[in-house]
Amino acid sequence: MGSDLDRQIQTLLQCKIITEAEVKDLCLKAREILVEESNVQRVDAPVTVCGDIHGQFHDLKELFKVGGECPKTNYLFMGDFVDRGHHSVETFLLLLALKVRYPDRITLIRGNHESRQITKVYGFYDECFQKFGSANVWRYCCEIFDYLSLSAIIDDRIFCVHGGLSPSINTIDQIRTIDRMQEVPHNGAMCDLLWSDPDPDSCTGWGLSPRGAGFLFGESVAKPFLHNNGLELIARAHQLVMEGYKLMFDEQVVTVWSAPNYCYRCGNVAAILEVDSNLNREYTIFKDSDRSSMNSRTNPQREGPPDYFL
Amino acid sequence: MNPESEELYPIAILIDELRHDDVSLRLNAIKRLNTIALALGHQRTREELIPFLDESIDDEDEVLLTLAGELGEFTEYIGGPQFAHILLQPLENLAAVEETMVRDKAVESLNKICPQLSQAQLEQYYIPLLKRLTLGDWFTSRTSATGLYACGYPLASPASQEDMRKSFGQLCADDTPMVRRAAATHLGAFAKKVGKEHLISDIIPLFNKLAQDEQDSVRLLTVTDLVAIAEELSPEESKAYFLQTLKSMVADKSWRVRYMIADNFLSKAVGEEFTREDLVVAFVRLLKDNEAEVRTAASGQVPGFSELIDKDTILNYILPCVRDLVTDTSQHVRAALAMQISGLAPILGKEATTEHLLPLFLQLLKDEFPDVRLNIISKLETVNKVIGIELLSQSLLPAIVELAEDKQWRVRLAIIDYIPLLATQLGVEFFDEKLGALCMSWLGDSVFSIREAATVNLRKLTEVFGVDWAKQTIIPKVLAMGTHPNYLYRMTTIFAITAMAPAVTPEVIRDYILPTVTNLVSDPIPNIRFNVAKSIDALIPVLMQNPDTAPLVDQQLKPALIKLSEDSDNDVRFFSQKALLPVQ
Repeated sequence: MGSDLDRQIQTLLQCKIITEAEVKDLCLKAREILVEESNVQRVDAPVTVCGDIHGQFHDLKELFKVGGECPKTNYLFMGDFVDRGHHSVETFLLLLALKVRYPDRITLIRGNHESRQITKVYGFYDECFQKFGSANVWRYCCEIFDYLSLSAIIDDRIFCVHGGLSPSINTIDQIRTIDRMQEVPHNGAMCDLLWSDPDPDSCTGWGLSPRGAGFLFGESVAKPFLHNNGLELIARAHQLVMEGYKLMFDEQVVTVWSAPNYCYRCGNVAAILEVDSNLNREYTIFKDSDRSSMNSRTNPQREGPPDYFL
Repeated sequence: MNPESEELYPIAILIDELRHDDVSLRLNAIKRLNTIALALGHQRTREELIPFLDESIDDEDEVLLTLAGELGEFTEYIGGPQFAHILLQPLENLAAVEETMVRDKAVESLNKICPQLSQAQLEQYYIPLLKRLTLGDWFTSRTSATGLYACGYPLASPASQEDMRKSFGQLCADDTPMVRRAAATHLGAFAKKVGKEHLISDIIPLFNKLAQDEQDSVRLLTVTDLVAIAEELSPEESKAYFLQTLKSMVADKSWRVRYMIADNFLSKAVGEEFTREDLVVAFVRLLKDNEAEVRTAASGQVPGFSELIDKDTILNYILPCVRDLVTDTSQHVRAALAMQISGLAPILGKEATTEHLLPLFLQLLKDEFPDVRLNIISKLETVNKVIGIELLSQSLLPAIVELAEDKQWRVRLAIIDYIPLLATQLGVEFFDEKLGALCMSWLGDSVFSIREAATVNLRKLTEVFGVDWAKQTIIPKVLAMGTHPNYLYRMTTIFAITAMAPAVTPEVIRDYILPTVTNLVSDPIPNIRFNVAKSIDALIPVLMQNPDTAPLVDQQLKPALIKLSEDSDNDVRFFSQKALLPVQ
């Protein structure tokens, strides 16, 4: 393992950026690892499952303080690493560097924000341009987005995905047949996995999503899906939960949200889901780090890209 | 290509790039200015490049900003200080543009160049530049001018100096608040250059005028001027000139001004006499201000201010306010106070601290807002020094024990950091009784950082109470956690072992720790296995110290590492091979 990589990880851990050439090199290495991963990446327990991060770098460091550093603790991040926060670049590159350095200790799957179209609008593109003076880094990262796996499965029992289920998917094997190396499409199975939400009020099963992409899925589709695939839980992210996590459908679906005080103003706590080797589940709650809360309180005119509206 | 055109080539590229449609290319060209200047040589840089740059001032702000910065470092490329005045022309234009950042950068560069000028250059070029900017039609140039007086003044002739004082006065009375704000910002620096006589005759009247400006944004900037000017005066003079102004600032109708004065209540600058007699009332007024921001800022000044007044005054005037602030409605005020209140202890001494401050500490320790609790704990050390740990622990221990189980992990962390000190003072018996169980419970905390800090804490406790104590009380419990079903807790055992290794004897390692370590070598979770490898790495040097235990390295640890180095997991192999290197 290269000491260059260890040095880059140290740099990124201090919330400093690495050079464009180093990013290019890192992305090349990451590609080699990610291309080998399945659309439903197998992950062994024990592992700590995390939801959206959204460029809140200091809160990601807080997450590591609460959950333990990588590689001491195994991690599965369920997408939406970038956009909205001030440090999408540092956040994504750190996670990617950890992935390259410790491929067996950390798993990254794709969220709906890991997309060219979305990052152009919600901040990652602008941040790359601002920090590197060109869009090259954004381009390298977007290429990597296409390589990220779509979901993961822990010890054949816990299915992890950014958004949720799709009406075009009944079995886990159907996910394995998707050609994922592309920009997130506007509809179809791949889009739904990254965009859908569970709907606690649904009686009919599938509903239209107010997001304009993906679907709402009810208890009556989630439970058969779990049963038919021999699963016990769907863990997903994608929706802000003020309490950090939220169990639904008789505790068979959980939303995990890992961006505390989302957008530096929502006032929510964050959670991580620690799954031990016997698949016992423990949720740990954490608040935003001193640094990000101080930024928002005493320095409203901080540098960085403009605030985005929720 | 003939030599002549070859020489022209770099400037040709530059001119091309400087005129290029693409901003990034123009920006690159500006950033490479010094390379181009080197290629051109001093003379042609002076005669061709600088005039050219002067003409290309109509560009994007980003390009201008870079240019303004580059020119400040450009003296060496045009042939040294005797030509430095050539740089003034383009910077003068940059100092008048619309974008504030460009102007500020230009002023910064002019401040770098000004000291390089000879008196003749100054009189011939700099002073006229200053005049033009000061009399500029548009407020931008006048704003920039205010930042250029202080550096030029010392070298100017007495006649010019007189002019400068006059025209600075004009700027202070400018029609636009933007210029008056800039003048207020730079008045302090200018005041320090003019000498005491003119300070009193010319500058203080300007200050007084700005301090009564109709705009609060101007008035609040004069607070720092006051501090700067007062530093040049004797306490009596300060008092004579500033008392009235100060009193009116404290009572200003704008809270922003009151905030500034509260935040800068550095009475050192205005002298002790002054403080005692007149400022107590003013300070009390700020502590009772209507605005939470002002009270927050004033709270931060409590110990600093109290240092300058006598104890009776503190007890009679300041302490009652502090008592009110402890129950302030704003959590930020209470947090600021919690951070500073312990600073009163050394000033008040043991008796008064015990009587007056301890009850307030207790109340703050129970505050509902975690930052308040955290701030008070992190400063207990100061109080400890004054009243002694015994008294402190007796009165505060129940509150501390309660905080050790606080919901906020940072509060728990602050308590852990404080434990070794408490242990030293309390002695073994008292410690085991009151805090022993607590220290062990942190090992099973749900937050990783607490578990980590708990292991370090155990090492420090071992250092305090000795190896025998550790052997009987903590080591068995630590090792027992090595069989916990959750790998995160088994990991804590390894971290605790690694952390404690330097503090225990090689015998303890051999008899107690090694069996557990060798056991965990075959743990089913790879994370445990590679941390065992890291732990062995740390244990080896400790065992090598003692001839009795040194053979164990070859007998037990090396075989364990060799086994791990053939593991199926990449990271286990990596860390065990790394640990093997020094022993092979």
